[in-house]
Amino acid sequence: MDAMHTIQNNLARRAFLRHTSAGIGSVALASLLAETAQSQLLHHAPRAKRVIFLHMVGAPSHLDLFDYKRQLQQLNGQLCPPSLLEGARFAFLRGHPRLLGTRYRFHRHGESGLEMSELLPHLSAVADEIAVIKTMRTEHFNHAPAQLFLHTGFGRFGRPTMGSWVNYGLGSENRDLPGFVVLITGLVGGAGNSMWGSGFLPTLHQGIEFRSQGDPVLFLSNPAGVSRSDRHQVVESINRLNAIQLEELGDPEIETRIRQYELAYRMQSSVPELMDISREPEHIQAMYGTRPGQVSFANNCLLARRLVERGVRFVQLCDQGWDHHGSVFESLPKKCKQVDQPIAALIQDLKQRGLLDETLVVWGTEFGRTPLLQSDRSRPGRDHHKEAYSVWMAGGGIKGGVTFGETDPLGYFPADNPVDVHDWHATILHLLGVDHEQLTYKYQGRQFRLTDVSGNVLSPLLA
Amino acid sequence: MKVAELRMRWPAGHGGCPVSNVQPMHSFAPHSFAPPSWVIFLLVLACCVDVTTAHADKPPEFVRDVLPVLQARCVKCHGPQEQRGRLRLDSWPGLLRGGITGAVLTPGRSDLSALFGRLVSDDHATRMPFDESPLSADQITLIGRWIDQGAVSTVALTAPLETQPHWAYVAPVQAPLPAGGTQGDARSPLDSWIRHRLDTERLVAAPAAMPARVLRRVFLDLTGLPPSIAETDAFRLSWQPDAFERVVDRLLASPRYGEKWARSWLDLARYADSNGYQADQFRSVWPYRDWVIDALNADMPFDQFTVEQIAGDLLPAPTIEQQLATGFHRLTTCNVEAGVDPEENRVNQIIDRVNTTATVWLGSTIACSQCHDHKYDPFSQREYYQLFAYFNNTPLEVKGDGIQFDFVGPKLSLPLSSQNAARRSNYQDQLEQSQQRIKIRRRELLADIQSWETRQIKRLAMRPQFHPLHVESFTSQGGASHTLLADGSVLVGGTRPPVDVYTVTVRTELTGIRGFRLAALTDASLPGKGPGRHHPERPNFVLHEFTISAAACRDQATAQSVVLHSAQADFSQANFPVAGAIDGNPKTGWAIAPQFGKSHRATFLTREVVGNTQGTLLTFVMDQHHGASRTIGRFQLSAMTGDPATLHLPAEIITVLSGDRQTRTKMQQEQLEQYYLSEDAMLTKLKQRRSSIQQQLDKIQADSTLVMVEQETPRRTHILRRGNFLDPGAEVTAGTPRALHPMGSGLPANRLGLARWLASPENPLTARVTVNRWWAEIFGRGLVETSEDFGSQGEAPTHPELLDLLAREFVLGGWSAKRIHRRIVTSATYRQQSRVSVELLQRDPRNVWLARAPRFRLPAELIRDQALSIAGLLANNMGGPAVYPLQPDGIWRHVGRNAPKYNTSRGADRFRRGVYVVWRRSAPYPSFTSFDAPDRTSCTVRRSVTNTPLQALTLLNDPAYAEIALALAKRIVREAASVSLEKQLEYGFRLCLTRLPEPREVAYLVELFQTQRQRFITEPGRARDLLGSRDLSPAAAAELAGWFYVANVLLNLDELITKG
Repeated sequence: MDAMHTIQNNLARRAFLRHTSAGIGSVALASLLAETAQSQLLHHAPRAKRVIFLHMVGAPSHLDLFDYKRQLQQLNGQLCPPSLLEGARFAFLRGHPRLLGTRYRFHRHGESGLEMSELLPHLSAVADEIAVIKTMRTEHFNHAPAQLFLHTGFGRFGRPTMGSWVNYGLGSENRDLPGFVVLITGLVGGAGNSMWGSGFLPTLHQGIEFRSQGDPVLFLSNPAGVSRSDRHQVVESINRLNAIQLEELGDPEIETRIRQYELAYRMQSSVPELMDISREPEHIQAMYGTRPGQVSFANNCLLARRLVERGVRFVQLCDQGWDHHGSVFESLPKKCKQVDQPIAALIQDLKQRGLLDETLVVWGTEFGRTPLLQSDRSRPGRDHHKEAYSVWMAGGGIKGGVTFGETDPLGYFPADNPVDVHDWHATILHLLGVDHEQLTYKYQGRQFRLTDVSGNVLSPLLA
Repeated sequence: MKVAELRMRWPAGHGGCPVSNVQPMHSFAPHSFAPPSWVIFLLVLACCVDVTTAHADKPPEFVRDVLPVLQARCVKCHGPQEQRGRLRLDSWPGLLRGGITGAVLTPGRSDLSALFGRLVSDDHATRMPFDESPLSADQITLIGRWIDQGAVSTVALTAPLETQPHWAYVAPVQAPLPAGGTQGDARSPLDSWIRHRLDTERLVAAPAAMPARVLRRVFLDLTGLPPSIAETDAFRLSWQPDAFERVVDRLLASPRYGEKWARSWLDLARYADSNGYQADQFRSVWPYRDWVIDALNADMPFDQFTVEQIAGDLLPAPTIEQQLATGFHRLTTCNVEAGVDPEENRVNQIIDRVNTTATVWLGSTIACSQCHDHKYDPFSQREYYQLFAYFNNTPLEVKGDGIQFDFVGPKLSLPLSSQNAARRSNYQDQLEQSQQRIKIRRRELLADIQSWETRQIKRLAMRPQFHPLHVESFTSQGGASHTLLADGSVLVGGTRPPVDVYTVTVRTELTGIRGFRLAALTDASLPGKGPGRHHPERPNFVLHEFTISAAACRDQATAQSVVLHSAQADFSQANFPVAGAIDGNPKTGWAIAPQFGKSHRATFLTREVVGNTQGTLLTFVMDQHHGASRTIGRFQLSAMTGDPATLHLPAEIITVLSGDRQTRTKMQQEQLEQYYLSEDAMLTKLKQRRSSIQQQLDKIQADSTLVMVEQETPRRTHILRRGNFLDPGAEVTAGTPRALHPMGSGLPANRLGLARWLASPENPLTARVTVNRWWAEIFGRGLVETSEDFGSQGEAPTHPELLDLLAREFVLGGWSAKRIHRRIVTSATYRQQSRVSVELLQRDPRNVWLARAPRFRLPAELIRDQALSIAGLLANNMGGPAVYPLQPDGIWRHVGRNAPKYNTSRGADRFRRGVYVVWRRSAPYPSFTSFDAPDRTSCTVRRSVTNTPLQALTLLNDPAYAEIALALAKRIVREAASVSLEKQLEYGFRLCLTRLPEPREVAYLVELFQTQRQRFITEPGRARDLLGSRDLSPAAAAELAGWFYVANVLLNLDELITKG
């Protein structure tokens, strides 16, 4: 029996995330225990407790925002080197396209001197907080597969998203809210609800959309004519009758059902309160540029803060409208204007509340855009580009004011340090205290993980 | 020993509270803090721990308990392919022999056995499995206990285990029925095996469930719908000993059976109505769904069911049904985004077909060998692409011009349904009649054409004449300047005010004026030549109002407005007809986009004849207030005299009429006749009628559905290195994995051969995998829990002999699904009570050994089907295109071209079964998603069973469920009108739950009803909001509102959405 004792100690010390075929891993269970216990059960001490993932759906141009290329500017309008076209496939570009430089000025900001486009004046003010990866690359140049790849590490349907993996591994810190919440502006991207799906993980780990119009959570409001006190009596009656069955049948599942009805009733008041940003003070509203009562990205940024404040583990903002095949120099400034101020405000607001240290803010997209001209020269645009693009991270455990990787002089391929989506996933999990190789789920005979068979933590970005 | 399954529930809370805090009763107070939901986790967790101790007295056995663990975690490096350290752990001799460092096993001493020590080592370099996650605590405990208790193997020590293949690849055998296993009321060999196992587990089977509960259970399992009260009464009162079996036979024969069992098959088939990916357009493949339902209802033998779906098109002279069955493999997703590579898409689709086939028929994870040889199961990468080769001869399914791509691929046109055939013939008859009437009318009219011609010629003598008017004064309200040109027209210039009103005066001596003409003219000085002043690219104008007043020159005070009518123009912009300029409505007006750069003329007739013999002063006012200078740049006014009757005659008709009738050509005559006939209102109406019938007829199109077809020239198949379609390796030909039964001689090397091989009685997997899925659907858990994986990484069967028994019965009984379903549901095991005693919860929390009937939540579609049925709303019509029940706004809002719109069904289609509900992959029906329905982008074998607050919100508040609750309330009021309140409640209760309520349940509902009714009596306005009707008396409305709440409660009960 001594041996038994050793095992148990051993296992407790060497906490691991391992899913059994029955459905849930030990750390997934651990998240249900007290928070203090949890840190012991993680693979290492977490630098971040929560993630806010800002997905610019459609793919903004890295060349006009983060990655200034002097040589591209000099060669603007000339035919591109034919070598770039060898074996390349594009969504729209055909023939021999011309190079297209940026029309924006880039400046260095903060103590770090991080370089950013004039389209992002607010973000520039917090340059010292963020770490830009300039050499992210992906495997797909169509939106839906690339979006799936970005979220699930796999370019086809069926795998769990990063948010659902995190929710599965770490659970929610708030027993009254889901661990994975999604906020959307614009249309839903081509990959549809699969951008927050749980794939083969149990469905309760999927993202739940909190909506800006209609019910904030589907079916949250009572039907017309039903008052809150009616609802109270109904829920009470349901639970009384359920309790009789629990007494007779003894199935713990009934007990859970009773709890979930109580929780649903509480959510009917707590979620609208959460979603009501109108009571935020004037200066906070001004800081984000919110428009209470409307659908806006700024509102969603403020909501993201309110969600992480309440312990939601993974908040995902999807903002559509970044697919600039034509008129990039008209559309991109408009989109930047919508997101620049609220994103910077989010970082500053988290910081002033002491939350930035433990909240990882991630800005990303499914791919970049070509340094090659698409459309005619009167309304220049850029095609989809999978070889290299920019994303950034800030907060929880990230070294601010740094860049990682450099692209070639045309901003086309990585010149060094290419970063795969799996590396990026591994890094995010690492910051959450999770070893990406250990967060697995057995499905169809195989231990699946978010990073599939690859992924390296980008340690130069870690504070 | 495995960690007990925990049903998933959301959210995951945290904290620490002793288990004893769980109270059996829950008085619910909204503002008090209820014990948090994690309590349940702890409760179940506690049970998991107890599992280990509960079986501590039962010695582990090598083959049954230990070998599966070794095979799952150790044989990758210590098995048939590799023997690291010369150690082999998949065999008994290998274990005894040990490895390079000597023995690994010392029976009785786990502390001396490396087999154990290496599992628990602290040193990363020595801990096994090397560089992988350690074994679970339970697995380690098991191996330790097995060694400590003597390392027993019941298999003869000399048996060469290493040559023994994995159990699932060996054909099922008929095991002799176990001795014993007769406890309780065992009825069949099935029960014997279950009871035998209960004996060894020292568990006792539960007694039979109450008739009402078991009746509801079997109705839900076989048809997915609850029994009616009449059916329940008939069953309760029947004294026939085989009353239950009779019910079962009736249910198996019900068309609802196929609808219920299709649901899980359609999950496997990834059946959906859209392509997936960006745009997520629709495709027509619903006839396949109907084929599945029909095949299940007809109890089509499963081998035939298999062959027709995999290769129906390759059967000799295939029927339409056999062809459309191949829709199974056309259900793969498809990406048609710009620039997509059709070949890559095709390869992805084939990969999905191979993987799905392996999962559905072989319970195999062969998908793992797409990039490399399978790590655990005997499938090589080569064999993967040999299976791939069977599917590699179908055409591309994406076509495009390089940018715009579309989903194409073979479709089958289906014969018209009898209903549509009848409609078509009806329309054809109507068309015939309509044709006839037109003919008659034409004949009548043409008989009269001579006199019409004579009349027209007479009128032409007095045909209208236009007299240009010379402008006396022009003023622009907006301050524009003007020039009078020689032709009497006015050219506007100077400033371009956004809006303007022109006032023009004219003196004329003309009399007998019957109309006026306004010409808007081009001019080189105007932007884009005019005639409007708006913009060089769009020189439009909008003339909102054109008014005229006339006064005698001598007495200008006599000015009277001239009433205009019958406006005509040579061209009017869509939605800007010229009539708008004289209708007195300032919002309408005449405009000319896109016919810019051309002159346009508008003619207006006057109601009274205008013109004073002493001269007339005419004042024209032209109001143009659209904005952005949409004003006329140059215009000319003319007065019209003569008979306007011929004004509308086209020039060529006037030519014909004015010419000599003798020299008229045939074409001219036809032209004239056409014009003459077109003037007849009745004929025009008849023709309109004819074209609307034609339109209806055209709408009746034969339905089409996606099917598989084989290309004439087969493709060559190569191994794709690392699964990359751009990196082909060695060429392979079609073939099946060596580890499984051989391909029958004489079978063709195509999909048909593969299909017959899958459905062969020799196949050790198909029958087992299939009956196991059914078992899982009925018992909530398969005999092999991992119903998608029968490989070495899957779970071993809990009752291997029973699995084989059912598999053999399935094959030998002609592959009849209904026979197996009947076998299962008539067993004593199935008919047990589902009560979970505290002891049972501790000893078998997951109900692996079936000492009781299972309780688990119904799947999404059945929750809705059942509610509709209870409320009396369910529409029973079967088949056809997808239906669109009520869903909230804003669910379908995805990027992409012409995305389909959600048009909520009206009438009966709103209330049809879930199996017919539209399935859009990017956004499936939201209340189904709440209850764990998949998005059907890939093959789903097991759905999650979660228990979340979103489910509570759905049943409480989804407008679709509110509609159902109201219908149920009305049904109770209607059908149980003249009985006591208690009896009414009992009626509603039985509609929902089949059983009779207990007195305290009635008491709760009475209290709810009375409180709510009273509230609505005092607040009648709310009842109207709730019921959406003002027709009821206040008392009746309050009554119905009270019932609404009762229905709302009943539809939310755990018992209702649970099969127990």
